[in-house]
Amino acid sequence: MEYLLIAIQDVFTGPSLFWVAGGVLLGYILGAIPGLGKATGVAVSIPLTFYLDPVSALGLLIGIAKGSGAGSAVSAILLNTPGEPSSAPTALDGYPLARQGKAQKTLKMGLFASVIGDFVSTVVLILLAAPLARYALLIGPVELCAILVFSLTFIGGLSGGSMIKGLIAACFGIFFATVGMETETFVPRLTFGFLQLDDGISLVPMAIGMLAVAEMIVQAGNLRELDAQTERMKDSDNPDDRRITGPEWRRCAPVIARGSLIGTIVGILPGLGASVGSFLSYGATKRASKTPEKFGTGMIEGVAASESADNAVVPSSLIPLFALGIPGSVIAAILIAAFILHGLTPGPRMFTEQPRLVADLYIAMLSASLIMLALGYAGQRIFAMIIRVPLRLIIPGVLLFCCVGAYMETSSVFSIYIMLAFTLIGFLSRKLDFSFVTFLIGFVVAPKLELSFRQSLQLLNHDWANLVKHPIAIAFFLAAIATVLAVARKEARQSVGTIDTKREELS
Amino acid sequence: MTTRRTLLATAAGLALALTGLPAMAQDEYPTKPITMLVGYGAGGQTDLIARASAKVLADQLGQPVNVVNKPGAGGAVAANELRGMAPDGYTILFQSNAVINAAPFLMDRVDFKPDDFEYAGMITAYQTGLAAPKDAPYEDLTGFIAWARENPDFAYAALSAEARMYMDRIAEQEGLQANAVPVQSGSEMVNTLLAKQVAVAFSGGIHYRYPDEIKTIAPTTTFRHPSAPDVPTIEEAGFPLAMDTRTVIILPKGTPREILDRISSALKAAETDPEFVKVTETANIPIMYYDAAAAAKEMQETYDKNKVILTGGN
Repeated sequence: MEYLLIAIQDVFTGPSLFWVAGGVLLGYILGAIPGLGKATGVAVSIPLTFYLDPVSALGLLIGIAKGSGAGSAVSAILLNTPGEPSSAPTALDGYPLARQGKAQKTLKMGLFASVIGDFVSTVVLILLAAPLARYALLIGPVELCAILVFSLTFIGGLSGGSMIKGLIAACFGIFFATVGMETETFVPRLTFGFLQLDDGISLVPMAIGMLAVAEMIVQAGNLRELDAQTERMKDSDNPDDRRITGPEWRRCAPVIARGSLIGTIVGILPGLGASVGSFLSYGATKRASKTPEKFGTGMIEGVAASESADNAVVPSSLIPLFALGIPGSVIAAILIAAFILHGLTPGPRMFTEQPRLVADLYIAMLSASLIMLALGYAGQRIFAMIIRVPLRLIIPGVLLFCCVGAYMETSSVFSIYIMLAFTLIGFLSRKLDFSFVTFLIGFVVAPKLELSFRQSLQLLNHDWANLVKHPIAIAFFLAAIATVLAVARKEARQSVGTIDTKREELS
Repeated sequence: MTTRRTLLATAAGLALALTGLPAMAQDEYPTKPITMLVGYGAGGQTDLIARASAKVLADQLGQPVNVVNKPGAGGAVAANELRGMAPDGYTILFQSNAVINAAPFLMDRVDFKPDDFEYAGMITAYQTGLAAPKDAPYEDLTGFIAWARENPDFAYAALSAEARMYMDRIAEQEGLQANAVPVQSGSEMVNTLLAKQVAVAFSGGIHYRYPDEIKTIAPTTTFRHPSAPDVPTIEEAGFPLAMDTRTVIILPKGTPREILDRISSALKAAETDPEFVKVTETANIPIMYYDAAAAAKEMQETYDKNKVILTGGN
C-alpha cells in the first residue's frame, strides 16, 4: 500500500503520464477509424517500447488497448461501421440513434459506459488479481465448454428479425471458422492449398470486410437518400437529445453494472475476448428488457450494454498476466514481451520483487481511465460533426483505412483478399437481411467451443460419468437447459397469445 | 537436375566474382535499411528474440533493421515468400529452424530443403522438453513411464504435431495409455500445467518462467537444458528422439558469401550485448551462437536426423 503513494509521485512526475496519454489518444483515434484498431496501434508502438522505461512502455500499450476499445464506439455509432468487431452490437442501436439526431447523446453514453466498465474492471484487477486468478484456474476446458454452451443461449437473442435467418447466418459463421489446421490431428481443413489459411481465417480482415467495407458499399448504394436525410437532420433544439437525461441514467445504470460484470468475468476467462463480452452483455440486456422488440431501433441501453462490457474485458484480461504470468489476450501477450524486454518476469513474483513497478502500473492504468474520459468528452463534439459530412467524402477514406488495417496484421496482400471475400458475404447478408452479428458470433465462439469440447473429451477420458468431478460445468449445463426451457415456454405463451388475439380479430 | 543447378550456381558465382568485387569496393553492404521478417505474430518468444537481435544488428551494421511480422503456418508462409525475394541481403527472415528442418516432414504442402536457402548464423536455442507440475510424483522420463504404467488414461497437452509425436512414440514403445489434449498456444499449455489438468505437456521452453510450479522431466534436445542441468535428456533416457531447434537468420538462395559473413559477424555481437543478454536471461532462452558456416552445417544435420525421426527415413 505504501507504494501507491510513491507510485502516484512516480507516474505524475515522470514521463509515464505523457506516454499513457499518448497511448490513449492514439488508441482512441485508431479505434474510431473504421478498419484500424488495436492491432494497428500495437504494431506501431512495439518498436517504441524498446526505448522507453518499463512504466512508460507498458502504459503506452495499455493506453492503446483501452483507448481503442472506447474509440471503436465512435465509428459504430456515427457510420454504422464498428472500429473493432467487439463494438458490432453498439452499432445496432447506436447508429439508429445517431440518425435520429441524437448523436451527441449516444456518443456520451458510449463514452461513459466505456469508462465505467474500464474503471470497474481496473479496480477489480488491482484489488482481486491474485485470488481471482487462482480461482480462474479452476475453470478448465470442461468448465469453459459448459460456459460457452450457456452463453450461446443468450446470444441467440441477437438474431434480429427472423430467428431462422439468424441461425442460418450463425451456421455460416461456424462454417468459416472451421477453415485451418484441425487441432488434434493437424490436418488442414478447407484451405485449398493456401498455406496462409493454415491458421484459419483471421478475425481482423474478416471483420473489416464484413462490418466496414460491406457497410460502406451499402451506404454508397443509398448515397442520395442518406445525404438528403443528413441535410434534413439537425441536432434537435431539445437539449435533452444532446445529453443523457436522469431517467436514462436510471435505466442504464443496472445495464452498465451488468455489462461491467460480464466484461470483467469474460476477461478473466482464458481466450474468450472482448467480442464475446459485448455480445453476451447486449444479449442479456435485451433478454432482461421489458421491451426486447425495440432493440435495434435505437435503444440507448443497447449502447450502454455493449460498450461497458467491451471495455471491461481489457483490464481484467490482464488479471491472469499479473497474477500467474499467463497472457489472456493478444495485448497481454505483447505486454509480456514488453515486460521481458525490460528484464521483468510477469507473474506472482513481480509483486514481491517489484512492488513499486506494479504500483506504478496500477496508477498508470487508473489514470488511463480518466484520460480516456477527458479525451473522449472533449472529442465527442468534433466527432459528432462527422455525421454531417457527405458520404461521398467519407467512403473513399474509410476504404483506404480498411485496406491498411487488413494489410497490417499479417503484412500480406492475402489479408486484403480475405477482406474482399467477406465484403461480398457481408453485402449479401445485409441485402438479404441475414444477421451479420450472429455470423460473427458463430465465427468467434465456434472454434473455442470445438476446442474446449475436444479437450474435455480427452480430459474426461471419454466418459460422461467423469463429469461429476466438474460441478461448475454441471451447473452451467443445467443453467443452459433451464434458459432454453424458459425461452421456449415464453415463446410458446406469446405465440398462443398472438393466435388468440388474431382469433378475436377474426370473430 | 543437380548438375544443372550446380552449373547455374557456378555461373552465378562467376558472374558475381566478376562484377561483384568492384561494386563491393565502392559501397559496402548494407547501404540501406534491412527488412527482417518474423514468421510469427508480435508478442511471442521468437518475436522477442528477433527484435532484440534486430537491435544488435542495426547497431553493428549501421543501418536500421525493421521487423515485419508475417505470421502463418508456423513460419512457412514467410519462408515461402523469402524464397522469391532478391538475394541481396536486404530481406532476411528470423525464424526457428524448425520451419526448414521439421515442417517439411509434418506438413504436406511444405517442401523446403536446407539447400533452398542461405543461413547467416544461429543465435539462441529453444529449451524444448516435456514438462510436468512441480508436485508430480516423477522427476524424469524413466520415473514418469513407471508412474504412467500405474496410471493409464493420463492426459498430456500437445501443442503441435511434433508434441504429439513424442508421446505417441513413448506410449507405443512402453505400452502406455495416453489421452492427448489439444492446446493452441504456449500460454494455454502452461495453463493446463498450472491447473494440474494434465500429467505432462510438451513445452517450447516458456515453462521455465514458472519455476515454482512447473518442472522439466525430459529435455527433447541433444543437450541438457542450461535452466535445468540435472534433468537427463530424452536420449539419455533411451529414446533417440531429440530434435534441436534454434533461431536462425535465413536468406534467399544465392545471397553472396560476403553478406552472409557480414551479418554473421554482426550477430556474434549479440552474445555479449548487455541488452540482448538481459532479455534472453529473463526469458530463459540460452544463447548458442553459430556462425554462417556452422549454421548451414547444423541445418543439414538436423534436417537429416529429423527426417529419420519423423518419417522413419522414407
